[in-house]
Amino acid sequence: MGKRLLGVVVAGLLVATIGVGCSAKKKGAQAGTEGGSGVGEEGLGGGGSLEQYKAGTLGAGEEGPLKDIHFAFDSIDLDETARGILRDNGNWMKDHSGAKVEIEGHCDERGTVEYNLALGAKRARAAKDYLVTLGITQDRLSTISYGEELPLCREHTEECWAKNRRDHFVVVSE
Amino acid sequence: MKRARLLAGVSVGALLIDVGVCAAQMKGSIFGPGTRSYPVAVASLKNLSGPAAEDVGTRFADIVGRDLTLSGYFKILDRSAYIEKSESSGYTVDSINFDNWSVLGALALVKGGYTVQGDNLTLEVRLFDVYQRRQLTGRRYHGSVSELRRMANKFADEIIAQFTGERGPFDSRFAFVSTRDGKFKEIYVMSPDEGDLQQITKNQTINVSPSWSPDSRSLLYTSYKRRNPDVFLIDLISGRETLLSQRPGLNLGAKMSPDGTKVAVTVEDDGNADIILLDRSGKVMRRLTDSWAIDVSPSWSPDGKQIAFCSNRTGSPQIYVMSADGGAARRVTFSGDYNTSPAWSPKGDLIAYVSRSEGEFNVHTVKVDGGEPRQLTQGARNNEDPSWAPDGRYLVFSSSRSGHSKLFITDVTGSSQVQLTHGGGDDSSPAWSRWLE
Repeated sequence: MGKRLLGVVVAGLLVATIGVGCSAKKKGAQAGTEGGSGVGEEGLGGGGSLEQYKAGTLGAGEEGPLKDIHFAFDSIDLDETARGILRDNGNWMKDHSGAKVEIEGHCDERGTVEYNLALGAKRARAAKDYLVTLGITQDRLSTISYGEELPLCREHTEECWAKNRRDHFVVVSE
Repeated sequence: MKRARLLAGVSVGALLIDVGVCAAQMKGSIFGPGTRSYPVAVASLKNLSGPAAEDVGTRFADIVGRDLTLSGYFKILDRSAYIEKSESSGYTVDSINFDNWSVLGALALVKGGYTVQGDNLTLEVRLFDVYQRRQLTGRRYHGSVSELRRMANKFADEIIAQFTGERGPFDSRFAFVSTRDGKFKEIYVMSPDEGDLQQITKNQTINVSPSWSPDSRSLLYTSYKRRNPDVFLIDLISGRETLLSQRPGLNLGAKMSPDGTKVAVTVEDDGNADIILLDRSGKVMRRLTDSWAIDVSPSWSPDGKQIAFCSNRTGSPQIYVMSADGGAARRVTFSGDYNTSPAWSPKGDLIAYVSRSEGEFNVHTVKVDGGEPRQLTQGARNNEDPSWAPDGRYLVFSSSRSGHSKLFITDVTGSSQVQLTHGGGDDSSPAWSRWLE
């Protein structure tokens, strides 16, 4: 575990170095730096899911300060568990008033690629709307859908699908 | 003119067509879809240009045989059993010993010859009725050696026309998504016989939803290479790529109108997917849907007047049809609570789509004006992404029936299903082009 953490830090520093001068490009470069900057501070998310997928770390179970929420099949409804997690995530954002967060909407593998991309967008939007009702300003929240493209878990079981039907929260700047 | 480069000089001589031949008695009854029973011998073409020419003759026969197998109508007789050898026999009615073919059980025979001079290939090929000992059709093709595959695909289409009355679908190409070269979904193009494979994207992000321009020259697709899912248009001949739709959020499932002047595309408004219409340069012409629900996956009717799409406006995803100007939509699917991926047949009468029931996703068709759906696939977790052949008699789709997701071809009844792609990785989201000319 210690070894792995070191790897993340090194990778993060490399990305951070490469990323110098690209800060205006936001998201992509910044998300990649979080492994580095996060470890030194509060243990931020470790980058967006696409960056993690590229790095081979997606689904490895690393936890940032913000927790995932989960959905039923073909649903965008926020159940009580999801709303509870969103309140915690909202409180963290209130404590870190400079933080901006990207909300990723994901689906399980079942169904159609295009429909799932649209469903992921609605899942991300549902969380964003709820966070706004909690008092988080819109300009601190962005959304992106990955549909069924970036599963955490690749078995064809309900247990696995349930993990994949998620909103993931990435701190993109603080 | 723009065709000139695509075809790059393939020309067809109809000089060999035997005037007065009538294959009418062979059409119809003996050809049920999926019978796969009509025995055909496809001989290697005879080399007329002396040694050193590539093994054009065998490759031609392999490709024609492969296409005919995919069609589901034919059984290709094993070439090693052929008594009459190509190099020591002719390919005219008078110079063929038909007894050598009827004894093998062949009812039809493909024979021909070719010459190679430098990069120029000239090829003559004929289809014979073995029982009646006569020529049914013949073609002469000129082009570069690299166009051998197209010549074979064109002749396979001609053979299918002789036996079914309608041209076959194989002088065309497929675009599809695959993870064969790594963990990322990239877009590829190939010919229907799995040849001429070309990797179109190499950006190591997510690339989805390829679709063809009606002239089969360009591809539309969605890529995350700029991190946001944007729609790109790439000209496969010049290699020139343009960013067509790049609104914040989804830009997805772009489909060019049959006249090539407009593009229907799904975009995102406040988290909700709606379909809009762009002109060919990417400028917004109008909004086509405006509901609180997901509206996604537009598919044009062949006359360009209507668009089928998927919407969950009644609570579950269903297939709808609307005018290409937008406005009120008419629901087409009524059974099941998950119907997606509409694909309008080039013949105009059917919409193919994917329906979920009992944990499986299967390809169905339904008449445009409603009626009972027909289920084409079964017995696998996923049978998805239907796309029509240019002739409207076949569909390509992806299926997990052999483990990894691979592409399959089915005829419109579902009775003949043949695996199209092999090898590693997952292949999905196939798009069958129009004919190449």
